[in-house]
Amino acid sequence: MAASRRNTSQRLTLVILVLVSITLVTITYRGGARHVISSVRNGAGDALAPVQRGVAAVLHPIGNLFAGMAGYGGALGENQRLQVEVGQLRRQLIEAQQAQEQLDQLLSEQNLPFADGIPEVLGQMISSPSSNFDLTVEIDRGTSNGVGVGMPVVSGAGLVGSVVSAGQHTAVVQLLTDPRSLVGVRFGNGIVAVAQGQGEGDPLQLQYVPETSVTYPGAPVVTSGLDVAAYPSGIPVGTVASVRHTGGSLTSQVLVTPLVNLSILQYVAVLQWLPPA
Amino acid sequence: MTLRTWGRFGLIALVAVFVQVGILNQIAVGGAHADVFLLLAISAGLVAGPQRGAEMAFALGLVADVLVQTPYGLSSLCYVLVAFAVGVATGAMNRRPTLGFQVAAALLGGVGGTLLFAGLGTLIGQPSVPRHQLVIIVAVVAAGCVLLANLACRLLEWAVAVAPGAHHDAGIFASGSAR
Repeated sequence: MAASRRNTSQRLTLVILVLVSITLVTITYRGGARHVISSVRNGAGDALAPVQRGVAAVLHPIGNLFAGMAGYGGALGENQRLQVEVGQLRRQLIEAQQAQEQLDQLLSEQNLPFADGIPEVLGQMISSPSSNFDLTVEIDRGTSNGVGVGMPVVSGAGLVGSVVSAGQHTAVVQLLTDPRSLVGVRFGNGIVAVAQGQGEGDPLQLQYVPETSVTYPGAPVVTSGLDVAAYPSGIPVGTVASVRHTGGSLTSQVLVTPLVNLSILQYVAVLQWLPPA
Repeated sequence: MTLRTWGRFGLIALVAVFVQVGILNQIAVGGAHADVFLLLAISAGLVAGPQRGAEMAFALGLVADVLVQTPYGLSSLCYVLVAFAVGVATGAMNRRPTLGFQVAAALLGGVGGTLLFAGLGTLIGQPSVPRHQLVIIVAVVAAGCVLLANLACRLLEWAVAVAPGAHHDAGIFASGSAR
């Protein structure tokens, strides 16, 4: 009898807790509690930032030591590859300088939109993703520094992601490789598509690429900035990794390797730019 | 559960926040890291039984969800189910859980909890994780749970003031084991 009563009580507790959890999830998606939850999360991020910064400062050198020891063989091969790449880049630099001169003339005449001239806020990554299922990082800049939700985040090489949540002193950046990340891009001969993240370490997948489009591995991919795009135009995103034309389909499968190595990211710049309303 | 129990449990949850955010998040293996909250939820089921364990796991989930960008309440839902299942399995043994049982529960709870989180996330509209990545996440989380299972159980035994190795909610231990 006592055991039966205890079992009933246990099941009732389970049902109540499950229902409350489902209610919380539903409220998160639909109700006005999203703002409250966001505020709580931002507050927690601000409160934990000093701890994260301190531990990151201690663990970074240790992590780098182990990474260096483990990757020594790979580092030698990569060094040789990079030397070849430097030579190619020097040649491209000269070509780019000539193209820049032409572009400057064109811009001065036609006033085309361009990513340069956007004010930026420099920040440092203080935390890796807290969840294994969302690819977000935390930076040590927040609303008090001029960072706002929706602002693009870049590094020296190109696009990193965008700000999804901003507390007073910290902000959460959703990385390009997060499956929820969608970026309007342009590549090849003016082909526009949407780049979607496929997860940690995986290339981005371009959607809505016409089967008839012509491109090649290595082609640069930049943000398109079309209409109400979430990013200004011209920010480097990556390079085409592979193109696959599937017979009978209206679209091609194009994979893009991000330019930024998101696994060793440390410093970023938040562009103080918001999509037009 | 007394106020003292909840106070001690709150202290453990607070320490878990700092451990997760400050240490475990910085140590990624293949892009995945251990989940101390899932570990504590499993241990709550082992130590406090299905009912109390589920309550503690629910509270842990609420705390864990503050630190992430996934829907609020998703972690609570997963942890409650895992803790309850572990608690029922422990109660069915009808004797105090051995170290081997703790490790087995941590392994199965780690695997099951992670898959449950991924599955429920996909069900409510979260983008699904690529299969190869999910395998890495499951392996890393389960390994973390196995390595730290005994320590987590000892901490929760201190919190719920149960004699070490005893089971809080099992019928045969209920009258004599709680201090």
